[in-house]
Amino acid sequence: MPVKWLLHWQPNQGSTFSSQILNEVTQSIESLNGVKEGTWKATLNYYKPMLQDQANQAEFPREFVGISLPEEPDKYYFVIRSQRIVVEADSSIQMIMESLQSYKCKLSFYFEGLEYQLGDFRLRVGKVVPTHAETIRGVVMEVEYLPISSVGMAKKLMEEFLEIWQEAMSKRSLPGKFVNKELNFEKFGLGDNYTPQHTAVGYAFFMANLMAAIQAGRG
Amino acid sequence: MSMECVVQGIIETQHVEALEILLQGLCGVQRERLRVHELCLKSGPNLGVVSSEVRLLCDLDQPEPTWTVKHVGGPMRGAGADQISVMVRTMIESKVSKNALRMFYALGYKLDHELLKVGFAFHFQRTAHISVSVSSVNKMPKVHAIDEAVPVTPGMQIVDVTAPATPENYSEVAAAVSSFCEFLAP
Repeated sequence: MPVKWLLHWQPNQGSTFSSQILNEVTQSIESLNGVKEGTWKATLNYYKPMLQDQANQAEFPREFVGISLPEEPDKYYFVIRSQRIVVEADSSIQMIMESLQSYKCKLSFYFEGLEYQLGDFRLRVGKVVPTHAETIRGVVMEVEYLPISSVGMAKKLMEEFLEIWQEAMSKRSLPGKFVNKELNFEKFGLGDNYTPQHTAVGYAFFMANLMAAIQAGRG
Repeated sequence: MSMECVVQGIIETQHVEALEILLQGLCGVQRERLRVHELCLKSGPNLGVVSSEVRLLCDLDQPEPTWTVKHVGGPMRGAGADQISVMVRTMIESKVSKNALRMFYALGYKLDHELLKVGFAFHFQRTAHISVSVSSVNKMPKVHAIDEAVPVTPGMQIVDVTAPATPENYSEVAAAVSSFCEFLAP
């Protein structure tokens, strides 16, 4: 599977997300002759333990997420960041979790938007919205380099792409920029060969950063 | 919703070879080796409004062990169930990557018991997709010590006949399983 980077939109201090940012991003891709290929959607669910005694909450993982990815419609991914665990399962695992009734999904987010082909790159730009609301909480950009599946080998090329991309975006005077946050996949038992499990870990970290930024903004 | 129809029996080890020949003739397919490490996990105290159980099955007969998570419900009860000789229950399973056991431990599940099932199985189609397995059930003296497993009941093996079903077709599937089992009765 091609290597993928998840770029985080880092807004300038005091600015908020809006669909205008998404429009500017898609226009930038199109100005670079990116070809629109369709839409995409991923989902991330936060699970909380159902406890008889809330006092023992610390015994259980604070963050346990389940992720579905558009490129693997029959699969589902779990990530527990604090324990460096990522698990790939069939989608039926969601029915098992519901039957167990030990953990319930309390909060869900969609990542949805447009997909483009730009030379050897596949780009997906999307808004991050809670499933039962319209407010855009963030912007995500997936950058996939199609010829290479080695995380290490793709690094330099991806960095070069990011430089070009940031320069193209800077011309639009937007209140923020895209950044890449490097992840240590080895800690999750993942190798150099890129897989959907790498993507799942990426989304778990993406949301953790986004939630932290939202909390900091509220503070 | 996923369901399964199940019939279980026991057989003396001395008769297993004869049963295998009978099954070979009845099923018309090649037998497959069975070597499965079954870990039964239970939710720890405090987790969940009611306690829950889940099974992790590791197929050791593959070049690279493969894992499945399985959740089994209680048997169907009531007037409908009384008329069926086969046990019908909800069953959901999912293939999982090898980190599943670590994940369930992290979520607060504990190892209740583990078994090693060694034997053979036939999988074939007769109205329903039926699986018949004949296996010795072995327990481990130490946690996960597969190589030191010893039979729970030496001299006896378990026969499992199962078939997946849905709420719409479980009656037909149960009838197919029941009718097949008549050939196995001594």
